[in-house]
Amino acid sequence: MTLVKEEIYQEFEDVVGKRNISRDAAILESYRVIPAQSSDHRGPYLQKTPVPQMVILPETTEEVQAIVRLCNKYGIQFKASTTFWSVAGYIGGDYAVQLDMRRMKKFEIDSKNMIAVIEPYVIAGALQAETMKVGLTINIPGVGCSSSVVASTSGWVGFGPTSISMGCASENLLGAEWVLPNGEILRTGSLGAGSGWFCGEGPGPSTRGILRGKQGTAGSFGICTRMSIRLHPWPGPTFIPTRGLVPAYKADLPDNFKAYTLCFPTWDAYADAVNRLHQNDILYLGHRQFTMFGRDIKTAMIMILNDPDKQLADIPALCEDPYLKEQNEKMKIDIQVIIAGTTKRDTEYKEKALNKILEMTGGWKSELMMDKDLTDYVLLYLIRLGHKNLNFVMCGGYEGNFGLSPNVFVSASVMEEASALKKKWEDETNAIAAVGGDSDMGSICIMGGGGSTGWEFFTHFDSHETASVKGTADFFNATQEWMSEKGLGVDMGKWNQSARRPDGYFYTQEEQDEMFSKLPQPLVTAYQYKVREAFNPNDLCGSYYRTLSAKKLEQIP
Amino acid sequence: MPLEDFRPMMDRCSNCLNCKWIPFDKVKSMRFGENCPSVCYYNFNTYSARGRFRLGQIILDEDAEYSDEVTKVVHSCMTCGACDVACKVCRYNLEPLDHNIALKADAVKKGKILPEQQVMIQALKDEKTMIPGAVKANRGDWAKGLGLKDSFKEKAEVTFFPGCKYSYDKKLQGVARSAVELLLDAGVDVGTLGEAETCCAGRAHQMGFINEFDERADANIKAFKIAGVKTIVTPCSDCYHTFKRLYAMRGLDIEVLHIVEYIDRLISEGKIKFTKSVPMTVTYHDPCHLGRQGEQYIPWEGKEKKILNQIHTWDPKRPRYNGAYGIYDAPRNILNAIPGIKLVEMERIRENSWCCGAGGGCSETYPEFSAWTAGERITEANSTGAEALVTACPWCESNFANAVDENGKKIQVFDIIELVRRAL
Amino acid sequence: MKEKLIQLVGKENVAGDAETLASFAGDKSFSKSIEPRFVVKVKNAAQVQKLVKWANETKTPLVPVSSGGPHYRGDTVPSVPEAVIVDLSGMKKILSINRTHRVAIVEPGVTYGELQKALEKKGLTLPTSLAPRATKSVLTSVLETEPRLNSLHQWCFLDPLRCVEVTWGDGNRMYTGEAGGSTMDLGKQWAQEKWQLEPTGPMMLDFYRMLTGAQGTMGIVTWASVKCEILPQIHKMYLVPATKLEDLVDFAYRVIRLRFSDEFMLMNGSYLASLLGKTPEEIRALRAELPQWVALVGIAGRDLLPEERVAAQEADIAETAQQFGLVMKSAVDGARGTDVLDAVINPSGETFWKESFKGSFQDIFFTTTLDKTPKYIDEMFRLAEEAGYPTSDIGIYLQPQNMGTSYHCEFTLPYDAGSAEEAKRLKKLFTKASEELSAMGAYYLRPYGIWSKLQLNRDTQSASVLKDLKNIFDPSSIMNPGKLSNY
Repeated sequence: MTLVKEEIYQEFEDVVGKRNISRDAAILESYRVIPAQSSDHRGPYLQKTPVPQMVILPETTEEVQAIVRLCNKYGIQFKASTTFWSVAGYIGGDYAVQLDMRRMKKFEIDSKNMIAVIEPYVIAGALQAETMKVGLTINIPGVGCSSSVVASTSGWVGFGPTSISMGCASENLLGAEWVLPNGEILRTGSLGAGSGWFCGEGPGPSTRGILRGKQGTAGSFGICTRMSIRLHPWPGPTFIPTRGLVPAYKADLPDNFKAYTLCFPTWDAYADAVNRLHQNDILYLGHRQFTMFGRDIKTAMIMILNDPDKQLADIPALCEDPYLKEQNEKMKIDIQVIIAGTTKRDTEYKEKALNKILEMTGGWKSELMMDKDLTDYVLLYLIRLGHKNLNFVMCGGYEGNFGLSPNVFVSASVMEEASALKKKWEDETNAIAAVGGDSDMGSICIMGGGGSTGWEFFTHFDSHETASVKGTADFFNATQEWMSEKGLGVDMGKWNQSARRPDGYFYTQEEQDEMFSKLPQPLVTAYQYKVREAFNPNDLCGSYYRTLSAKKLEQIP
Repeated sequence: MPLEDFRPMMDRCSNCLNCKWIPFDKVKSMRFGENCPSVCYYNFNTYSARGRFRLGQIILDEDAEYSDEVTKVVHSCMTCGACDVACKVCRYNLEPLDHNIALKADAVKKGKILPEQQVMIQALKDEKTMIPGAVKANRGDWAKGLGLKDSFKEKAEVTFFPGCKYSYDKKLQGVARSAVELLLDAGVDVGTLGEAETCCAGRAHQMGFINEFDERADANIKAFKIAGVKTIVTPCSDCYHTFKRLYAMRGLDIEVLHIVEYIDRLISEGKIKFTKSVPMTVTYHDPCHLGRQGEQYIPWEGKEKKILNQIHTWDPKRPRYNGAYGIYDAPRNILNAIPGIKLVEMERIRENSWCCGAGGGCSETYPEFSAWTAGERITEANSTGAEALVTACPWCESNFANAVDENGKKIQVFDIIELVRRAL
Repeated sequence: MKEKLIQLVGKENVAGDAETLASFAGDKSFSKSIEPRFVVKVKNAAQVQKLVKWANETKTPLVPVSSGGPHYRGDTVPSVPEAVIVDLSGMKKILSINRTHRVAIVEPGVTYGELQKALEKKGLTLPTSLAPRATKSVLTSVLETEPRLNSLHQWCFLDPLRCVEVTWGDGNRMYTGEAGGSTMDLGKQWAQEKWQLEPTGPMMLDFYRMLTGAQGTMGIVTWASVKCEILPQIHKMYLVPATKLEDLVDFAYRVIRLRFSDEFMLMNGSYLASLLGKTPEEIRALRAELPQWVALVGIAGRDLLPEERVAAQEADIAETAQQFGLVMKSAVDGARGTDVLDAVINPSGETFWKESFKGSFQDIFFTTTLDKTPKYIDEMFRLAEEAGYPTSDIGIYLQPQNMGTSYHCEFTLPYDAGSAEEAKRLKKLFTKASEELSAMGAYYLRPYGIWSKLQLNRDTQSASVLKDLKNIFDPSSIMNPGKLSNY
């Protein structure tokens, strides 16, 4: 339904030009998403997000500012997205503008100081390719290299396989140029006074503190139009040479790159090893990757992905292969790691140290994964992280749930129980793919230097089949119940349930008050309310920015 | 397949953005990492393969009027298939290209047809070609004086099928002649279909005119049978794909070769020997319909089957047309064999080639968009430092010949046959 | 007022005598001296919270102080009359040390010496700032983002600071970061195996960033968790001498880019001499001997295969130095690596080392990138010459931060504060240099004193945002008013 008056629409059109704005009904409809077809750590739901009043594509910060100012003038909600993968990027009200940041794609690299300045459409894969030309690289978060670096750095959690050596998204954020919800432009840190992009903190207290937090504001606190991020050394060639037929590309990297699958006899040994890896600066990358497919079919999937002639229909036969069965069993408790030495001595030391950890924890390197083709596949897969769509490979639907604990020792102690719960659902219902329970995948570390891990179980379902979607939602209710019993907090499949309603709309303040008054420390959301009031007085960006009103806070005993 | 049969795919598309980029493993730069001309030009997400899946849902659910904008979204797809390759890196149950064509077929069924398309289809009906203004009677003019066998009258080992572009475009007819002369000089027994030769109608299929395509295809298949064609060699990549995949689906069971395959074969058999040097640094453009869409049709009959509760497969395994087995090496072998030629590669090559801009009928229906697309490729070609852009398709060659890069600069454009001739 | 304060903290913890008041009335910076009304010692967070609530009711300015003197930044001196000093230096508990997760939780009064000693027993150490003074509060040091010596372990700029317990200026108390997402009870969190490791959030707002560099203007922190490292079994320091800074710049870039070294910093001979020498004579002698410039390269072997790690890094860094025409040495004229290491990673002696030469000093420091530092140094020297200040006295310290993406650039200007002439000259130089360097682009990340006006006047948008934040967290503006340009 068109709610925006013609003259108002014209004002928006004047900002970006006729070619870059649309209110064609079908175009607007195409900017709705069905959460079950995406991932939002909220669903899965079948209700689409609302229809925007217009879709607008700005090219500059000034255009973004003009748009936001118009939204404030007329009380129109707005949300910006770049890739439109996550549901988080879509609007959540009936009177709202959807910004599509696709036209903002400039970047610069300061190779000497290891800094890149980027606009929203510079995706991680492309930026990594550009930085490799000058011997650098970036942290790519677990969501994969198709993600907008600006979006994941400014808007979401942002840890990934390389966080152990490079830090997570928020740690790599330097300066940011941010159009605040009230239409003012904030340039953070050293950028504010024009000194450059090199420091994101300060002056005094860090203004960037209001922009991101841990979970990120998911586009609900204005729009980041440019930012600088920290780059990291890349001890490899100026691009990743590849071989092989699609999709089984493999990397041809020099000897200083080593990929291993480390296996352990018990979860305790695994946790011990992970903790030691956190402490010792030897890994370039660590990710429990292939278990995302499921404990029972892990090696079968690895074989399929490495063979252009194989498909999912080959899973049953591969699962029956005696060698793969044996390897699958040995890889039950595993993690993929990469060492990348900057010199020969460095590589040797890191290898030795890794072997020492294996010795100390009773672990071993997977024999299957030492095959050259597989090693080269894993190197490419994890360094470029370009296959994140495999999240959806089984049928089309995926959501990450459980999450367990960032404390690897806690997770290790409950992993089998979590796996058994999932297996029970796989066996007793038809809703989710029956892959053997454990499908836990994630980063060895969610922040630089170790200390916390980040995991999620991959639950695969059919986004086309209502029963599968509903059954998955029921499963997540069960896992939440289990998580609560164990004192593990919010299930990852429900992280954003408090951000957007099941019907796709943003929560009202009353609804938020009801939820957040129950937090163990409600002041967190109470202060967020005040910050929202100060910088987003017209409340135009939606409820991913969680708030608790002062009135409600007073009522809490 | 009718549009409604694609509903499960529309619902299983996961919004991941992969369809807008070449496979990420292959990305070497921001500038040359994207793969979809329509979303790159028009920018709205709707113009991507994902956007079109969503559009499919909208059309089936009648959630919006079928506006002119929708018609443009549908018909501006060049059916280049780049989205298909990228999507299939990770997904085994989505067919973005087929869906895009189904959208077009649905548009045609609903009368959402562009005037330029009307002209082309009318020409197909009237003159058995989709080149507006061309007449049937002149189709064979390109071959005058070559003394080629008419396959209907005299059996030939190989039937040469130039395609409409080579037959009618005076700037390109010489390339067709050169191709035939090459074959004859190599001792190949070459014929043509003479007056029975008509358009392959592949471009009709690309534009969604499925009935018209089917009609022409069946007629051509019948003609090939009557003429006893065993091997067809074509220098046109569009015709190549049409015969090898689309006609094969309708029962054509002959050997289909592109001229580059045949020349590559002749070189390795010693029947073509290069005597002259062609000192030139060139870069090669993989035509969509020779490269990623150049895979052989594999007959299949089966049904969907879910295993392990919710893993979507087919029984038996369905052929996966993902560009892995397209024709990429033959043209490169040829170029590497020509003395003096130095081949430098662009970033988007092989199955990840950027479209020339002529696909899907867009060179007629959206000429500015088509020219921009070609210009993007010229920019990429010029970035390699190559003196010339070489290709193996007349549509590509023609579109590139008139295009300029982002700085207004052109590049020499050759068909590979021309370089082969220069070296003999 | 006194009665109320006594009610809150006990008689023995409220001081209003002249001597005590005078000791908090001024510091060694050029900040204006204003005597506080009372000095109140607090023992726990509950007392702090009551005090802050009272201060809100009565609109009494509070100035939190955790470290002992000498103070040089002006942040512990009241800028307005009738202020109450909140002395947290007596809160000296180390609430926990967790070896497995390498984290410790400290109260504000814990000094580096005290903490490092306790950590050592558990096989841990805290990344330190350069030779902090003996009375320096660890908590304040990390809150004020004093640069760490190992930038490669600074994945977050604010490392090693993790979570805190804070009483905001409005009297509300909460935990920040991961700790803010659970029950406000450390014991209960530990029982759930939660160790206050993740500093951000816990949700959309980085609460701890409201406190870093805030000079006590937003709230009072009563504990902080800090990320520790494993105590090295082998710890060496090498010296790479050069005659010019420019000779070391590319070497520094390269070493950091290779991700080699633990501690790594550059300093001129004057700075190093002050660090090593105990008396003015020693310092003068060292200045004559030491190289003009030196890179300090620390290499540690900890936990796994320490000898191998040290050997590999020693060899690789030495080769890298060679590539730039430099030599990595275990000793140079005037200094041995072992002594230098000892000096940089341990707290200073009773006399703060920067005071050893002339009894007093002023620092000018800011954040920039290494490639820009020569121009700032040139300007500093030019201004010093213009002011008649001996350039040979200027100590220069360049510390990579945040894995090398920025550098802390520090000029230390020793002087005799007892000499009116020197003091006047130095004040003039300090002010002029601060202004000129700011105009050239120096970024006062930690904007003490006049730097705050210089920085925030050039960045009015940040100033406006900070003001709005101040209104949220300290609506009555009782927390150290007058600092940070009063926002």
